[in-house]
Amino acid sequence: MKTKIFIIVFFLNVCQFQSWSQEQKMSDGEITAFKQSVAVVSKKIKTLSTDFVQYKHLDFLSKDIETSGKMIFKEPYSLLWQYKKPYNYSIVFKNGKILINDEGKKSAVDIGSSKLFGKINKLIVGSVSGDLFDDKEFSISYFKNKEQNIAKFIPKDATLKKYIKQIDLTFDKEDATVIQVKLLESSADYTRIVLKNKVINAKVDEASFSN
Amino acid sequence: MPKSMKLLFRISIIAFLLASCAGNKIVKDYKAVPLETTVFEVPYFSNQEIDYVYKANISVYGNELTGIFIAKKINDTTHRIVFTTEFGNKLLDFEISESDYKVNFILEELDRKLLINTLVADFRLLLRSHYTTSNQFDNGEESVYETLDKNKMNYLYVSKTTNKLSKIVHATKRKAKINLYFTSKNDIFADKIIIEHKNIKLKIELNYFNQ
Repeated sequence: MKTKIFIIVFFLNVCQFQSWSQEQKMSDGEITAFKQSVAVVSKKIKTLSTDFVQYKHLDFLSKDIETSGKMIFKEPYSLLWQYKKPYNYSIVFKNGKILINDEGKKSAVDIGSSKLFGKINKLIVGSVSGDLFDDKEFSISYFKNKEQNIAKFIPKDATLKKYIKQIDLTFDKEDATVIQVKLLESSADYTRIVLKNKVINAKVDEASFSN
Repeated sequence: MPKSMKLLFRISIIAFLLASCAGNKIVKDYKAVPLETTVFEVPYFSNQEIDYVYKANISVYGNELTGIFIAKKINDTTHRIVFTTEFGNKLLDFEISESDYKVNFILEELDRKLLINTLVADFRLLLRSHYTTSNQFDNGEESVYETLDKNKMNYLYVSKTTNKLSKIVHATKRKAKINLYFTSKNDIFADKIIIEHKNIKLKIELNYFNQ
């Protein structure tokens, strides 16, 4: 009897949750079409710059921790991730090196052969450009709501799994670009990054990545 | 007086002189005054309504580590402490009370008993809000309260003009082990905190950021 009640309550909760978020699973046809449209857009991306707002959610805090800044990407692997508020901190991935500028204090890490950092770099670039659909690296599931498509990635790599439980990429249905990246940890805590004022293929100066 | 007695007497005098010289090195420039209060309350991490969020710079044996330090008092006895990178991924997550601690999460690379014990001791000192004072010292500008902390002492330095706690020295009677420096504009939280170890090369700097 108890088990039955539990099962009913459980399913009621799940149903409720689904109706709240209004997220539906995509059909196989929708998945193919969605992947194609993202591939077309991400293939065109030679440079990308965007503002972002990062919300760190920790369940025990009364408010998410908000930081914001700018991101610039240039093919094939140059990446600047720059926090401007409430502090100045920027990190550049370029030619197998990580350059850090922490309020004017500079440091560099040679990551040449580090597989993990290679993966993280690919992950950040892939998350922002939408080019993350690698079945070898992730188990991927696809959802949609009225205005957005959502792809959920669960890492297969044991090392990566230690850092990230799941990545949710939210795409604008209109232009098939990423508007939100959500990194879930193995608890109720997550980091949500909202991308705004995106500019694709504008001229990007190499000096942007000197840090 | 027999020779042996004389020798013993001399040794006793020398020993007594040495002991009084060694006296209390921590407050040697301060004079002992009658105790004005037997309790001392530190306000900086004591409010359960506040999310205490800091940019953290940790320097350990020449290595620099930066990120976000979060503390919150979750009940009468316990604080939750989380340290994340700037990107938001968690490096450690502790619950600490004066007599106990629990590790909710720690990155495998940081999971070392010695490191955990050091950090727990530091955080305990940082978060502690209630002290029972046993002696008081004075140099005209500052009052220093001596408080017993198991087999060690904590010396609390309070400015006489602002009445704010500016420093805690965790020490034996002879030697400082850890210095904590506080800068506070409002007496509700500390804007800047430095935790400096004397016997190991570890320094933690915390800068409060408004959201």
